[in-house]
Amino acid sequence: MMMKRFIYVMALVLSFTSCHHVEEWDQDYEGNFDAIWTVVDEHYCFFKEKGVDWNEVYGRYHQRLSPDMGGLGFFNLCAAMLDELRDGHVNLSSSFKVSYYRKWWSDYPQNYDARLVEQYYLRFDYSTVGGMDYGVLRDNVGYIRYGSFSYPVSEGSLDGILSQFALCKALIIDVRDNGGGDMTNVETIVARFIDQRILAGYICHKTGPGHDDFSEPYAYYFDPAEPGRKRWSKPVVVLTNRSTFSAANNFVSVMQYLPNVKIVGDRTGGGSGMPYSSEIPCGWGVRMSACPVYDAKGVPTEDGVPPSDGCHIDLDPQLALQGTDTMLDFAISLLLSDKFYN
Amino acid sequence: MKFAMKSMGSKGFFKLFAVCALSAAAAVAPVSAQDDAEAIVRPVAAAYTVEIGSSHLVDTYLTPLKYQGISTALSYERLQAMKFSPRTWIMQSRGRLGLNRGENPAKNAAMWDLDLELSWGLMRRFSVESIPGLRLMAGGATGIDVGALYLARNGNNPVSAKAAWTVGLTGAAVYNFKIRRLPVCLRYQPTLPLTGVFFSPDYGELYYEIYLGNHSGLAHAAWWGNYFRLDNLLTADLRFGGTNLRVAYHGDILSTKVNNIVSRRFIHALCIGVSGEWISIGRSDRSLQKAEIISALY
Repeated sequence: MMMKRFIYVMALVLSFTSCHHVEEWDQDYEGNFDAIWTVVDEHYCFFKEKGVDWNEVYGRYHQRLSPDMGGLGFFNLCAAMLDELRDGHVNLSSSFKVSYYRKWWSDYPQNYDARLVEQYYLRFDYSTVGGMDYGVLRDNVGYIRYGSFSYPVSEGSLDGILSQFALCKALIIDVRDNGGGDMTNVETIVARFIDQRILAGYICHKTGPGHDDFSEPYAYYFDPAEPGRKRWSKPVVVLTNRSTFSAANNFVSVMQYLPNVKIVGDRTGGGSGMPYSSEIPCGWGVRMSACPVYDAKGVPTEDGVPPSDGCHIDLDPQLALQGTDTMLDFAISLLLSDKFYN
Repeated sequence: MKFAMKSMGSKGFFKLFAVCALSAAAAVAPVSAQDDAEAIVRPVAAAYTVEIGSSHLVDTYLTPLKYQGISTALSYERLQAMKFSPRTWIMQSRGRLGLNRGENPAKNAAMWDLDLELSWGLMRRFSVESIPGLRLMAGGATGIDVGALYLARNGNNPVSAKAAWTVGLTGAAVYNFKIRRLPVCLRYQPTLPLTGVFFSPDYGELYYEIYLGNHSGLAHAAWWGNYFRLDNLLTADLRFGGTNLRVAYHGDILSTKVNNIVSRRFIHALCIGVSGEWISIGRSDRSLQKAEIISALY
């Protein structure tokens, strides 16, 4: 009798463990296709914003599966399916290939030529520290080129750079072609341009596998740099193009609402969903947007941040051949004119 | 205060180990010996073991795939009769530092799991008169378990932090017998947490959001439906002298499901180490000879 009770109790105990089911897929094209579709289905965050019917996508691509399509063929099929999301944060990674969706920038003018700035504006007389190139342009305007938010930015470097610009009238921060990186660098830099706590934006996350399972947006704030650090309160222009993406897009989305700051150039590339990584049975990695970030007014920036009113400008390719960066010239003129304050 | 081993037959390595172990045991909780003739001495049964075995790791926050690999750990335990009722109550403290490594089915990614556990339990002792040498214990235990799983291939979600405080049941069957002239102590001890509190981020919540200050919904009340753990320990102490050789099996099943995140850690490991029983003497060997020694395990 005692033994029977013991067996019943143990069976009950073990049944709780078996409740924690983990989905499994077969190690073949069918299984891996289902795995990649399911992982994206349960974690991707912009189906609604982009108007993507993921079930319809499944049907359309699943019928193209073939047992003899080969590994590369299968990869290309899955990559094409992921391209339906039209998202630069979505990648499929294998040992032989990584997929990228490029149309968020390739369909637009590049609007940036590093050599143009270095040769004709900085005359190769610029300094580099902490991933930032900086120098003084004509009319005593400071210039910082930050190529990637992946480069660590130290407080000491920012102090050094801003000290060098102490006598400058205004500042240009060039984040064209900045594809993003570490979000904590956004706060480190923005902290130099604010003198009180600001609402930086909102972030939310998936609370379950459903397409509408989202948390309430959480407001997050940035604080000014600690006392004793160099801060900048004079006019600032942030130069942008379509390749300003991800963390750089977030930087622009915060800077756009600061007084004394104008966004000049082209609409940024977006990439406001913080990426989440996963994998499928064959060992390929999958990355996708999972946590949407909104600006301080609750506006989605997945499609990019527009330039300030009257500040949209492209690089003129003909003038570029003659050593003129029309976007940079526009920014300098704007900073020196009364229009900046209008 | 001077220390002496209950049995004085050890040499070399065992003496060195005994000195180290006694120092550690005394530092954690000094045992006491009474001065008078009716004193009760409560020796500390302590063991240090190394574990090696297999691990099965799952954490759907990091990956939907199951990782299989090796499990290693260092563990310590001490048992001692309680001062207030030494014949009836046994106290047990355990510590374990585990490091597991698993690979995905394609063998192109590795997941690491570092885990620290500390627990304390109290058990009532029962004698089974019909089976000489057999003693049963039953009681409760509480413990903390902190650690993290790390999957390097993930960009923004490479870590899944683990933290739990639990309260549950534990019990043991201890059987002392001899193989020829060698005394052996066999013990089976399952531990089953019943409730507690454990940490988990939300389904798709990145630690960056927690860093930004969103700390809501991170602590969860544990029950069998969302936090199931069954820790099984089977030990055999081969009592060669003052220090014993411990050979053991450790099986640990942990399965949690909260916020649609399933996390599992199954470990099967062979343990090997040393154990022993130590007492402290207040004045002289005479007082020890007259004292009643109540062992927690042997």
